[in-house]
Amino acid sequence: MKKRHEQKLIILSIGLMMAFSIPISLLFNSEKNVFGYPMILIYLFVVWMISIIISFIIVKRYDE
Amino acid sequence: MSSFALFAVVLVYLALLFFVAHLAEKRKSKRWINNPYIYALSLAVYCTAWTYYGSIGVAATSGLNYLPIYIGPIMIIPAWIYINTRIVRISRVNKISSLADFISLRYGNSRSFSAIITIVCLLAIVPYIGLQIKAISETFHLVTETSMSSNILTDNATFVVVLIALFSSYYGTRYVDASEKRLGIISAIALESFLKLFFIIILGIFVIYFVFDGFSDIYEKASKFKDFKEKNTFNGIEGAMNWMVLCMISATAICILPRQFHTAIIENRQEKHIKTAIWFFPLYLLIFTIFIFPIAWGGRLIFDGQKVNPEFYSILIPQHFDNTLITVFVFLGGLSSCISMIIISAITLSIMLSNNLIIPYGLLGKFKSDNEVQNTRNITNIRKFSIFALIIMAFVFYKYFILKTSLDSVGLISFVVIAQLAPSFFGAIFWRRGSYKGAVSGLLAGLAICYFGLIIPQYYFSYNQEFKGVIREMYDVFTFFNIPFLSRIPQIFFWSIFTNTALFTIISVSVKGNYRERNFAELYVDIDKYIQNHENAFIWRGTAYISDIKNILERFLGKNKTEQALRIFNLKYNIDSSTETADSRFIKFSENLLAGRIGTASAKILIEGVTKEDKISLKEVLNILEESKENIILNKKLTEQSEELQKLSNDLRMANESLIIKDRQKDDFLDSVAHELRTPITAIRSAGEILADDDDIPTDIKQEFLSNIITESDRLSEIINDILYLDKLEHGEIALNIKENNILETYKKALNPLLHLIQQKNIHLSEVNLLNQTVFEYDESRMIQLFQNILGNALKFTDDQGTIQTKLAEKADQLIITIFNTGQHIPEEDLEMIFDKFYQSKNQNILKPTGSGLGLAISKKIVQAHSGVIKAENSGLGVTFTISIPYSITKNEVEQNQ
Repeated sequence: MKKRHEQKLIILSIGLMMAFSIPISLLFNSEKNVFGYPMILIYLFVVWMISIIISFIIVKRYDE
Repeated sequence: MSSFALFAVVLVYLALLFFVAHLAEKRKSKRWINNPYIYALSLAVYCTAWTYYGSIGVAATSGLNYLPIYIGPIMIIPAWIYINTRIVRISRVNKISSLADFISLRYGNSRSFSAIITIVCLLAIVPYIGLQIKAISETFHLVTETSMSSNILTDNATFVVVLIALFSSYYGTRYVDASEKRLGIISAIALESFLKLFFIIILGIFVIYFVFDGFSDIYEKASKFKDFKEKNTFNGIEGAMNWMVLCMISATAICILPRQFHTAIIENRQEKHIKTAIWFFPLYLLIFTIFIFPIAWGGRLIFDGQKVNPEFYSILIPQHFDNTLITVFVFLGGLSSCISMIIISAITLSIMLSNNLIIPYGLLGKFKSDNEVQNTRNITNIRKFSIFALIIMAFVFYKYFILKTSLDSVGLISFVVIAQLAPSFFGAIFWRRGSYKGAVSGLLAGLAICYFGLIIPQYYFSYNQEFKGVIREMYDVFTFFNIPFLSRIPQIFFWSIFTNTALFTIISVSVKGNYRERNFAELYVDIDKYIQNHENAFIWRGTAYISDIKNILERFLGKNKTEQALRIFNLKYNIDSSTETADSRFIKFSENLLAGRIGTASAKILIEGVTKEDKISLKEVLNILEESKENIILNKKLTEQSEELQKLSNDLRMANESLIIKDRQKDDFLDSVAHELRTPITAIRSAGEILADDDDIPTDIKQEFLSNIITESDRLSEIINDILYLDKLEHGEIALNIKENNILETYKKALNPLLHLIQQKNIHLSEVNLLNQTVFEYDESRMIQLFQNILGNALKFTDDQGTIQTKLAEKADQLIITIFNTGQHIPEEDLEMIFDKFYQSKNQNILKPTGSGLGLAISKKIVQAHSGVIKAENSGLGVTFTISIPYSITKNEVEQNQ
């Protein structure tokens, strides 16, 4: 894998740390429900799922 | 379910594991070795009983706090592409077999550091193994609905643990070289990881769809709990803060936990498997966690008001509904997560114990005098003994210390203790200046904080409600450092890592480093540069003899393997086998050979014993490294340059060869020209001589001689003109005037001057026109010349009353002209040569040549200038010339062909 594509994954990693840290995660910390479920749970699992999809795409597309 | 039946199930299950391990070990087929999913699944050894039971307890009692131990890893996993790839490379080239080896080698291959790391790992992991044993035992009694027996010998859990110990010691110590891959064990772990996920999915579906009416049903009912909202949101900024710190603890744990290091680094069979793990492992964790929420809240709904341990909801729920099958499934899933954790932890800890503690501190002297068989047996026995000792220690721990505490807190404490290795671990890959002194003092300080902050209170509280007496006074001193918005574990994590990192960095930059650790620092940080020739990056100066080192190697590897290794080494570096003194590369190579068996530190000590190292200053090391780095770059450049030179010299050689050929051709050509010119000149000269010598020649004879002189002169000038013309054609001095022309008209124009001759010889001339179109692109005057040359040639060789046939056709975008004439065949071997200059003059002695002998050579040049091909072949009663010219000739092509 080229350095550039490796860096995409590292940026994803940093992005995840940001997404789960205080200012941003607290934004979703409301008692409101989204699709009938607590917003924070939806947020955490959706970010989680997206990160899997992104890493899957990067790994598969730039695999050499 | 009766104890006996469940025990039988466990036995069958263990037999299945043995069978898979045996199969993988025996077959060693490519499909198993190359399978990235076996690697990715084996990483799921991360999910222990803590995940399987503990998380559900946490989710039910303290809400979102069950998530950090999964969220933490997924934050750092994408970065594995950088971190783990490098660690795998470093470990491969240095034959690293454990976490202790990895860190201590970087800090100067220090024996003491590796021993400290081993002790840290023991401190953190033994209680954790105890936790797994506790889970096995408690769930066993839960499923069989028996009470726990206080007598160890009659407790079924004891037997299960003994079986696991047997399994790990058998498959974990098959290779004396600890850096070898244990495919058997890893395949069994991968199977277990798959099973535990499968069983939790079954339980999840059972709870969601059979016990309740789908996910939303659980959710609706659960949201009536008073604390539901509070449990499913962060408890303000404080809650989020605690949550974040827990994420960080888990993120470091997924990289540094000895069992994770073992499965992710030591057992990595191919670097590219990391890529699969990067998406697969988070997916695995996601599926696992999704079911925790419904099981936890479903459990609370079912057992509302009853006093049951929420950690065991997963077993209690199916049991509550009398579903024995699912109860046993869940029990087996839990058993899987416990067993895999115990096996891998016990193996990697036993390697550390033997290679980093027992051997370097006690048995090196003994090994020096024993032979290979004894040594191999001793090393494996130490590891087997260590595995048993560890599991017994863990068992004792479980029996006497952690009976009362929850799965969650013991797990987190061991994460925090292990996290103390984080500064030196990450410092090893990223920071060159990090030094041994800094790393050790940071680690010890961090450990002390963990010990007093977490470990003592944890076990003290198992027996007492609160601090009393002296201890209370002692702890009161530290109340100043209390952080009110963090709970106890995140607080201690913060202070310990803070102190640890501060000491590590400050001491590292203020103390002068040791040359050996700086050497390894360069090798670790710049692993990509040294991956190909890492032995060159090892700096060592002194006197050493190959025979002494060989002597040591033979005691561990045996005679044959040593010889074999030496041969490989000599071959790799192109060293003469009779060399007596060892250089730095050989020292590093030998240390590597021993490292897997006795650990890096012991290998260094053994080799040091038979060599004499000269002191090198740090400055020198840095200079050498700088040089070697430059050398590597220079080498790369030189290789590139030499490749270029090679190419150039090849080109030159070819050019030279073709020049030699051309030169010879030129000579031949000159010979032929001279010969050709001589014939008419001789004729002119003899005619002239006769005319000059004899005045009485009759007028008619005189007339004939004079006309001879004129014909021969014409012939002479024709030859010279042709030579000049050919020369111009060859040098591209004659530009083609390519236009659209009618080929039939051109043919007619070419034919006209020849008609007279044709009639004279009474030759039958015919044309066949197969063209769809008649307009083509070519240079008309050249084409006329071409026709005339070929037709003229044909005329020359056609007997009287013979036939000449011209055929015009098209084929595959090409204009095909074939001219056939009856008459003498061209000798087969000459078919190619007739287009050479003066061909006829050399080979034709029957007829006196008419024409210059350059006609066909000129024709070939003209065809080539049109990007076409001309060839001659014998057919039937005569000879056929075939000319093919492509439809459109672009200007470029023409120029190229010229």
